[in-house]
Amino acid sequence: MSSPHEPPPSPSRPDGPSFLGSVARIYDLSFGQMLWSRRTVFMVLVVGGPVAVALILRLLVSMDLFDAGGEIDGRPVNIDGPVIFGLMIWGFYLSFSVPLLGVFYGTSLIADEVEDRTITYLFTRPVPRGAVLVGKYLAYLVCAGLLVLPSVVLVFFLVVPLLGGSVGAGFPDLLKDLALLAVGLAVYGALFALVGALFKRPLLTGLVFIFGWEPVVIVVPGYMKRFTVSYYLQGLVPHAMPEDGGVTSLVLRVLQANEILPSATVGLVGLAVIVIGGLALAVRLVERREYVLEQ
Amino acid sequence: MSAPVVAAEHLSKWYGQVIGLNDVSVEVGPGITGLLGPNGAGKSTLLKLVTGQLRPSKGGVRVLGEPIWGNPRLFFRLGFCPEQDAFYERMTGMEWVTALVGLNGLSEPEAAEAARSALDTVDLLDAADRKIGGYSKGMRQRVKLAQAIAHDPELLVLDEPLAGMDPIARRKVIRLIKERAAGGRSVLVSSHILHEIEAMTATILLMHNGRILAEGNVHTIRDLIDEHPHQVRVRASDPRGLARGLIAHDDVLKLQFEDGAVVLETDRPDAFYGRLTEAAATGALGEIHEVSSPDDNLQAVFDYLVK
Repeated sequence: MSSPHEPPPSPSRPDGPSFLGSVARIYDLSFGQMLWSRRTVFMVLVVGGPVAVALILRLLVSMDLFDAGGEIDGRPVNIDGPVIFGLMIWGFYLSFSVPLLGVFYGTSLIADEVEDRTITYLFTRPVPRGAVLVGKYLAYLVCAGLLVLPSVVLVFFLVVPLLGGSVGAGFPDLLKDLALLAVGLAVYGALFALVGALFKRPLLTGLVFIFGWEPVVIVVPGYMKRFTVSYYLQGLVPHAMPEDGGVTSLVLRVLQANEILPSATVGLVGLAVIVIGGLALAVRLVERREYVLEQ
Repeated sequence: MSAPVVAAEHLSKWYGQVIGLNDVSVEVGPGITGLLGPNGAGKSTLLKLVTGQLRPSKGGVRVLGEPIWGNPRLFFRLGFCPEQDAFYERMTGMEWVTALVGLNGLSEPEAAEAARSALDTVDLLDAADRKIGGYSKGMRQRVKLAQAIAHDPELLVLDEPLAGMDPIARRKVIRLIKERAAGGRSVLVSSHILHEIEAMTATILLMHNGRILAEGNVHTIRDLIDEHPHQVRVRASDPRGLARGLIAHDDVLKLQFEDGAVVLETDRPDAFYGRLTEAAATGALGEIHEVSSPDDNLQAVFDYLVK
């Protein structure tokens, strides 16, 4: 028999969404917020840089002001469009834009909601806190992908045809490069999601990691370089770079001389461990942590 | 006797060296319960513990018979309207409430229907397709309330829900809270204004310095409150015209003007608020945008009580 205070049944479902269902709903809620944020405007400028460089390069070539020949390490190298594109992938995207996107978005997955004091609305709903983090991580991945990948495609079509390069021949390499950059975004994002859950000043910590720790440790002989993301990414880079003797051999020689080139398998395993381990630890931390909002 | 909707046992919360809540043991029964206390009394801390946002430093709290910390499933049965004025500003009211109630496992059409119904309940359906960033303070309060009631929870927890609302909106929200209780739902509502709490319920928990100072009937405390002058700040389109209309009554002791507002002191808040609501409804004294009350008067009563 019902007691006088027994409330009528609630229309929301007692079984509720699964973890993955919750992730999908948080993704839906977060994606638009993330895509149209001020951070994205800044990041458009970051990934717009290589496009601007590609346009300038095209202009220089059309005005015959770019010298395509040269020497690297005493050997003659003929620099063409695919070679320049390969260098831009490494120099602009993998070493700069992708880690920067990872830091700016990854560290802010939860921190932004805490700073805006909107986290309350997500944490007082019947979804696991971990699903909030994972849903926002996926939103970051798609958002960052939408920023970086079109920029790469634009640069490809601007640069590769230069100086006798062939778009058709370079297309499989473009796909490999896009896949590599997507992996980079996933890895840096997961790592900095963990940093965001772990540290009070995650942005500073992240910037120190990508611009201080990684560039220094990666060239120091020894074991420490295994504590960087770029070490494992480098295991995949030569396989995705243009099949050009000059650049590939140069990169390989530089990397091998410093004993910093892992195999592709080691690279893939290392990156998978960082993604899965980073996200799992971040989820665990978010589930257990209290968020005291500033009044 | 009915099972308590909230049961706290030796509940304490520290923020580093600062005590937010100090060894609170209390049972909140079904119906409407008002949590009354000045700013810094520990009301928000208690509500954050009750809604599982904070983990107790000591003791425990059970909501609807279950521990709340780390138990998200309980939010199927619980709705929370926080104090902070924080939103996804670029979303419309409809989009925001739909997205949040969707987290309760409703399909998109069901969530949209629940959101529409909740926005209608708080009289915000006309503005449902406007961006929240363009809402007035009162509308923002109401859309916050809409997301809390959209899934029709058994227990509704409201942290200062009437802050910044105009008198007519206040009256509607108070009626809404009472209707929920009449429909068998429970409400735990905090305020630092006795008059607000008194309009909703006679059952109060009186908080001060992180402790429950008293619990029970509101009328005992209200006699004490009435002995102290009560300050009310009214933001209006014509503060001077409003002041002229109100000063004519002998329960208004003094007034002073601020930018776009008038601050009045009254020794009979009941009569004063009644007149103010009537004036807002008829528009006789111009448009009234916002009514707020500093809690100095309540603090004076607490100082008296703890002596």
